[in-house]
Amino acid sequence: MSRLESPVLHLTIRNDLPEIGRLAAAVEAFCATHGLGDGIAHSVNLALDELLTNTISYGYEDSGNHLIEMTLTVGDGRVTVLLRDDARAFDPTQVADPDLDAELDDRPIGGLGVHIVRAMMDGMTYRRVGEHNELTLTKLTGS
Amino acid sequence: MEITRETISGVAVLSPVGRVDSNSAREVEEALLPLFDGTAPVLVDFEALNYISSAGLRVLLLAARRSKATGVPLALSGMSKAVDEVFKISGFAKLFHIHANRAAALATLGKA
Repeated sequence: MSRLESPVLHLTIRNDLPEIGRLAAAVEAFCATHGLGDGIAHSVNLALDELLTNTISYGYEDSGNHLIEMTLTVGDGRVTVLLRDDARAFDPTQVADPDLDAELDDRPIGGLGVHIVRAMMDGMTYRRVGEHNELTLTKLTGS
Repeated sequence: MEITRETISGVAVLSPVGRVDSNSAREVEEALLPLFDGTAPVLVDFEALNYISSAGLRVLLLAARRSKATGVPLALSGMSKAVDEVFKISGFAKLFHIHANRAAALATLGKA
């Protein structure tokens, strides 16, 4: 059973907004080490920031500590990110796009986050598994 | 986060440094929105900014509304490629007066 191992970054963060910065630094370093460009690192980090900010800010019904797992894999011409949390069920693939043509006064103050995730990523799939949300993001690397 | 505040040629210039995300957006909000209580035109210079998320866009949207309500002009300048991309995909580019750099913005705002 000989098989080339794909590079993997696995990190667990707490439900605390400053943790997103720690995760971003790890993703940046990982992307640099494995020859993925700054554009890929920025896209992945922006998508993670938007999703994790939602989860940490609105996802928990208690004020307790929770852990969120992030696994980033490189291979098959893509970066694949799996996010797993025990927040309330939330499927971002079902969120409607905001009206990007609305004038200033009609722009909703929120609601852009998931749109940005869609624009940054090439694929997003959601599963609810027991008490956990599992979101898989893919970004083509073109190599 | 670090935010540089200057007054240049009668224009209030605010320059956030590094990242504007959900963690730091409030600091930008607290520095930026009170400027619309004054009379000087406002320039947010992104020259030293390499990252913005929707939390940062939210603050800029609030600023644009304050600008419209008070008549205090607002412009943006110095966007990096990453910041420009986020503005474009969010449909924000058309909501703001955006200049390539600080000098160009000051030349326009100074006449406002």
